[in-house]
Amino acid sequence: MNQYDVIIIGGGITGVGTARDCALRGLKVLLLARGDLTAGATGRNHGLLHSGARYAVTDRDSAAECIRENKILRRIAAHCVEPTGGLFITLPEDDLSYQDNFIKCCIDAGIKAEAIDPKEALKMEPSVNPALIGAVKVPDASVDPFRLATANALDAKLHGAVILTYHEVVSFIKDKNWIVGVQARDTRTGKTEKYYAPLTVNAAGIWGQNIAGMAGCQIKMLPAKGSLLIFGHRVNNMVINRCRKPANADILVPGDVVCVIGTTSDKVPMEECDDIRVTGDEVQLLLKEGCLLSPSLAHTRILRAYAGVRPLVASDDDPTGRKTSRGIVLLDHDRRDGIPGFISITGGKLTSYRLMGEMATDLVCDKLGRRSRCRTAELPLPGSEKELFDSAKGLRIAEKAAIGRQGTMVSKMDFSHKSEILCECEHVTRAEIAYAAKYLDVHNMMDLRRRTRVGMGTCQGSFCMKKVAAALARELGCPERTEEFIREYIEERWKGMAPVCWGESLCEAEYMRKLYADKKE
Amino acid sequence: MKFDVIIIGGGLAGCTAGVALQEAGLRCAIVAEGLSLHECPREKFIELGGTIFPGDRVTGGHIVGRKVKWVETRNLDGTLLEADNFILATGKFFSRGLISNMNEIYEPVFGCDVKYDKNPAKWVSQSFNDSQPFEKFGVITDAVGQVSIQGNTVENLYAAGEILCGERDIVSSALDVAAQIVGR
Repeated sequence: MNQYDVIIIGGGITGVGTARDCALRGLKVLLLARGDLTAGATGRNHGLLHSGARYAVTDRDSAAECIRENKILRRIAAHCVEPTGGLFITLPEDDLSYQDNFIKCCIDAGIKAEAIDPKEALKMEPSVNPALIGAVKVPDASVDPFRLATANALDAKLHGAVILTYHEVVSFIKDKNWIVGVQARDTRTGKTEKYYAPLTVNAAGIWGQNIAGMAGCQIKMLPAKGSLLIFGHRVNNMVINRCRKPANADILVPGDVVCVIGTTSDKVPMEECDDIRVTGDEVQLLLKEGCLLSPSLAHTRILRAYAGVRPLVASDDDPTGRKTSRGIVLLDHDRRDGIPGFISITGGKLTSYRLMGEMATDLVCDKLGRRSRCRTAELPLPGSEKELFDSAKGLRIAEKAAIGRQGTMVSKMDFSHKSEILCECEHVTRAEIAYAAKYLDVHNMMDLRRRTRVGMGTCQGSFCMKKVAAALARELGCPERTEEFIREYIEERWKGMAPVCWGESLCEAEYMRKLYADKKE
Repeated sequence: MKFDVIIIGGGLAGCTAGVALQEAGLRCAIVAEGLSLHECPREKFIELGGTIFPGDRVTGGHIVGRKVKWVETRNLDGTLLEADNFILATGKFFSRGLISNMNEIYEPVFGCDVKYDKNPAKWVSQSFNDSQPFEKFGVITDAVGQVSIQGNTVENLYAAGEILCGERDIVSSALDVAAQIVGR
């Protein structure tokens, strides 16, 4: 009982990507996530599938890695990727001579980069700053990190993996200095349980530092907070970048019906990583720089602000965290620290998650003496097995939306009985909620939001949260928790709204308070 | 067009004041964006012979000396609405009685003096159920309910309901203002 081949710690994209790879190679996998899947940096970034162009000048290896993975993900995760293309624009205040070297470096790294006439760029992307004096087209794309992680977790489960969310590792079980298992606490029930495996993989992102410490070795992470703003409209169709040395707030990424400007980069203490909030200064900076990429952002409602912490592995004391290599770090703690049975996979980025999983799984298989080839670059993720949009003709918008989010898994949804739309902004039906509750490890409204986009639209849940909470509670068999679901959910929405509460957002906030605030009487 | 009182905003405050004023024999008109019309007092207001300009919005007013002479609306095509007294009952942010941007908060029709925290970071509390500072922002009125513009009281312009700063009851603030106007 509770015996596995490998235990993976971390419910981010690296953890689920590694779990999928291990499961596909026939290993008996347990994944433990402290909270929900994608609750850390995976759910708090741009949603940018890098072409690698951003790193071409400063970090050729990362750039080459990005373009290879970019091409793979377009294939295996088609339902998570929108092939928008990207522009790197030069503004009058930038040095146009940067562009030539940029293109040369891109091509050198295998990235198709092509200078285009600024007028042409304006035609391709009408929202771009018309003052631009140079433009380069690159194969950037938009990726839904929630969807991508969900599909990886689902495929891992379909291949026998066990995924336990809300399970926090509290200690390692050692036999002499061998790590032979972990003790994890179910944070919802408080119960502690032991799980055994000859190998444990630390894929806990920034929190991997604490996990390593618990195991008795040291990884020095350099937590770099990145703040972003999400707008209520999609002003751009292509990813817009500044063609200059990477700096603050110089990428605007479209995604679904919204767009996201980011990011900032500031060193934060490890202790703050669990509850980071966006400051007023960051909002100002993001808006100012964002308007230089696309001036119409000045008149677009900001839905919310959020921040993530990049899992950078410290290599020097650079306070911006930008000089640190974005490269993948795979640590064999047996060799490095004399702790057999324990490895760490960290660093890297969303775009390279699959490769991180492959590298970690190669080492796992090597350690376990298993010979098995990695197939994650070939096998499509559940949802991306085939293109469904052709057969979607005649379907209702809500069903098409569900296909967009869940791909071929829509076949598991009961549209004939549960067709009513509960979240109108994102067209989420009761059928999709029921599906998520049954198959996607959903325990509360935030989990559901990450799986289905419920409440992510312009109303931020104001109109739908009661209906959705009631439906979810019913599907989970706990109708008495409806009120609790609503309270938790509002508090979480408020956190993102508070830093940008003016204009339309303040109107929305006032309305939300009128509907849901606890009355004093 | 001339009335005794023009009420800008047809929510609970505007309609309540309208009913009280019609009952006191004054001729009132309410200019209200359609959806905000408050059902129950509205019926009563119409029954008492009040005039409603539904789905319309006051776009600006003309002030001479310390008095509002007339207001103009989006739909009346240049026709001016004159009155002896005016009541501003346009509500807070959601109903656009107050407008905010990342630096300031203002009252859009007359530019009435508004009480609010000059630091936008302090408009909202961190937790949803905490008391929210922005809900107490609003138009400043004197003891009789008259508003001011750049510190100068406007003698025939009153404010009632949610647009007021502080924590005033909607209905009683509307009745107070109506009583002031009737008593003049």
